[in-house]
Amino acid sequence: MKKSSIFGLVVIAVAIAVIISTYANSSSYASFNEAAQSNAELHVIGHLDKKKELYYDATKDANYFSFYMTDNKGEECKVIFTGTKPEDFERSQQIVLTGKMVNNEFHASKILMKCPSKYTPDKLETTEVSAKKAAI
Amino acid sequence: MAIDYKGEHLFPGHLGQFFVVLTFGSALLSFLSYFFATTDKEGKNASWQRLGRIAFIINSLSIVGMGTCLFYILYNHYFEYHYAWAYTSKSLPVYYLVSGFWNGQEGGFLLWTFWTAVLGNILIWKAKSWERPVMTVIALSQAVLGTMVLGIDILGTRIGSSPFLLLRDALQAPIFSSPDYLSFINDGQGMNPSLQNYWMVIHPPTLFLGLASVVVPFAYAIAGLWQKRYTEWIKPAIPYALFSAMILGTGIIMGSFWAYESLNFGGFWAWDPIENASVFPWLIMIGALHVMIVFKNTGHSYVMAAILALTSFILVWYSSFLARSGILGDTSVHSFTDEGMFWQLVTGILIFLALSIYFLVVRWKDMPRTKKDEDTYSREFWMFVGAVFLALSCLQLIVVTSVPVFNAMFGTKIAPPNNEVALYNVFQAAFAILVTVLSGFAQFLKYKKTDPSKFLPTTLAYLLVAVLVAGVVVYATGIYHLKVVFIILMIGSVYSILANGKILVDAFKGKFKLAGSAIAHIGFGLLMVGALIAAGTSKVVSENKTGLQIGNGSDTTKANNPRENILVYRNEPVKMGKYLVNYVGDSISAPDHYYKIVYQELDNSGKVQQQFMLKPKVQVNKNMGGFTASPDTKHYLFHDLYTHITMTNSLSVDENQAGSEDHGQEDDSKNYDPPMARQVSAGDTIRFREGYIIFKGLSNESSVSNLQLGKNDAAIGADLEVVSHGKNYAVKPLYVIKENNVFGLAKKVDDVGLKVTLTKIIPETRKAEITVYQQPLGKRKFIVMRAIDFPYINFFWSGTIIMVIGFLMSIFRRNKELKTSNS
Repeated sequence: MKKSSIFGLVVIAVAIAVIISTYANSSSYASFNEAAQSNAELHVIGHLDKKKELYYDATKDANYFSFYMTDNKGEECKVIFTGTKPEDFERSQQIVLTGKMVNNEFHASKILMKCPSKYTPDKLETTEVSAKKAAI
Repeated sequence: MAIDYKGEHLFPGHLGQFFVVLTFGSALLSFLSYFFATTDKEGKNASWQRLGRIAFIINSLSIVGMGTCLFYILYNHYFEYHYAWAYTSKSLPVYYLVSGFWNGQEGGFLLWTFWTAVLGNILIWKAKSWERPVMTVIALSQAVLGTMVLGIDILGTRIGSSPFLLLRDALQAPIFSSPDYLSFINDGQGMNPSLQNYWMVIHPPTLFLGLASVVVPFAYAIAGLWQKRYTEWIKPAIPYALFSAMILGTGIIMGSFWAYESLNFGGFWAWDPIENASVFPWLIMIGALHVMIVFKNTGHSYVMAAILALTSFILVWYSSFLARSGILGDTSVHSFTDEGMFWQLVTGILIFLALSIYFLVVRWKDMPRTKKDEDTYSREFWMFVGAVFLALSCLQLIVVTSVPVFNAMFGTKIAPPNNEVALYNVFQAAFAILVTVLSGFAQFLKYKKTDPSKFLPTTLAYLLVAVLVAGVVVYATGIYHLKVVFIILMIGSVYSILANGKILVDAFKGKFKLAGSAIAHIGFGLLMVGALIAAGTSKVVSENKTGLQIGNGSDTTKANNPRENILVYRNEPVKMGKYLVNYVGDSISAPDHYYKIVYQELDNSGKVQQQFMLKPKVQVNKNMGGFTASPDTKHYLFHDLYTHITMTNSLSVDENQAGSEDHGQEDDSKNYDPPMARQVSAGDTIRFREGYIIFKGLSNESSVSNLQLGKNDAAIGADLEVVSHGKNYAVKPLYVIKENNVFGLAKKVDDVGLKVTLTKIIPETRKAEITVYQQPLGKRKFIVMRAIDFPYINFFWSGTIIMVIGFLMSIFRRNKELKTSNS
């Protein structure tokens, strides 16, 4: 009986370690404002400010991309990403950034973007308009 | 309301929807009939069983009918159906129409229910005394799956999502008020380019067969508990569990191969939540399989076998929920969005969870248990330990992957770990160490009791050899740069390969029984070795530095190792690691745009050791928006060189229509830097940014293409040789005097981004004035690419194949055992 109890304890210990490690390593969602006050890597959810400049010039630096994002609280911040501009970035509806604030600029280490569902009704309308022109 | 729509083909949809309802109805009937057949105490009246069978066969046939209708719709491009419109287009070749079939959620469910039907028919044919209870569970599973594709409103809520939904019912748009709306919908949305890959034709059916097959051990476990035939169910369920583990494993690795071949995240495994979700049931099934074998041989570990066999299927539903409910929206790149099935999927999980818990609780006291502990020197004890650690490794995956689920349940706002990949790697490697070591030395042990004096020396001897061999491997491949846990895993994997190699050698000497398991374990060991080296020492060749970059794939995320992209101008070779890389041209076969990239490997003296061309492609799809890149890979026996385009200026969204760039001779001076004019004599050279031009002299031209020269006209050409990046181009700009007009005809060297004109001739000195226009760097065609070297990745793939062979051999062995014990 003893051996199985010891083994059972080991199992429980490992299971607890798994849960604690996940919790200890977990990050949190924040706004840019909160990110500015923290040194940790955080997740910020928001959307691309399409009016401001998206900067990516491969001929100058193929690994520098910057843009402006408005977070869910409405604050805006310049974001810098070391890498190429993700495909289709302008069409993104929502962006989840991972990274931290450095001198009022958010340095993203990861960008996850949600693109609009392929079948939004408004899209169908635009195809319709162009098709009609051609038909007439 | 009632608009008489024109041009719609409603029949296949109506027929398909009829089959949808029939599928559900017949599954329900089959479930009830089998239920009564099972609970019928007499067991003599076979009419319930007959009804159950008939209903199940009707269910199977109507699933085939449903599939046929859907394929008919896709094949004929009936875009009045949402499914056809959303996932296919006219330009897709037929084999991609097949993969369009399982592009949507509904198609996935269709595959799942189809494979369950196939397995059900096999069980009807083979299961004998188990048929009634086992088929009750299978038919229940079919009925639940049937609701997922129903697409019918019941009490105001839509149950399921039918693949036969019409476009005009799926979307709200003013266009549908017009009876001839179909004439405006000329083509579907098309398929996501990254899915247009041959792996997408075979990966989903394999994966879904694997997922579907998990129901069989589950059904046997339930049946065993339900019918109080506690001990009997395990033996017939073992071959199915083996089959399930084999197919599910194959399906997962196929998905990984697809990602490696056609996605551009740069690797074969990314710990994406959706990938993890497919691994949950597999890990648990492997664990279940081992304890089932333990029970069969020793009578130990019954409770564990039952719990794991049940859990595996619940996890199939859980992973389906994760993938389809939209809950992973913030954490996964390729999860589906919620299509209103959230609670239905939750219900699916709960049904099978409740069923399992009910039987476990009700039968808890009656379940067979052994009084005595397993002996420490027994195979069963360590197999049990291994199964527990497989379950724990699954637990770790579940806990981390489910963070969004916890957030939804408890209203918390925890974000997943920042360095998720490192967290997974370390934990999973630690579990894998235990699993590989156990899979090695448990093979040396015997069931029940082993003599330690024989066992310990062999084990230790092999461990010593494994440490030595792994040491060499670690040194040779550079793994020692990684965390210690990965080095120990290498030792464990090598140990598993060696120990099982010994068992295999013994097997050929006569103890053939263990051959299957030995081969499967060797395969797993090789797979781990391959994954470890390929992921741990893969290096980004395209980095803007030279030299070895260690620890990229495994220890740090892509993000922490930036500057991975390199800019390459057309015809301007760039040094990249040991290669000289040159973008030499394009080849376009719409909608694919291939980039021809020549790699030259140079030795120290600058001689070309080898040369090859890779053609990564970019696909332009207007509906999907822009740009999807697929890599191309140079495969060697011991490493792969993987290359993909991350950005380019050489294509535009509408390049399919327009003939691109050249707009003839009109004023394109704004495409160039300010001109520079030079007066030169024969033999002089003009330097420009990327080379030089030799002026060889002037010559009189008697004819000018497409110009008629009169007798007072003249044309003088300047013989120029442009030398740039080791290439020579001969060009001859002209100076034409025609009918008292004077003009120059410019010549372009597109490769170099150069335009030259002959602007003046000074007869006295026989000098000429040449004006050189250079394109600014930004206007030149370029690509931005990323290249990664994956060493020894073939171990990963070949390990998989070997593992599958091992599984196959085990299935045959267990089947044979079953036959001999029955007769």
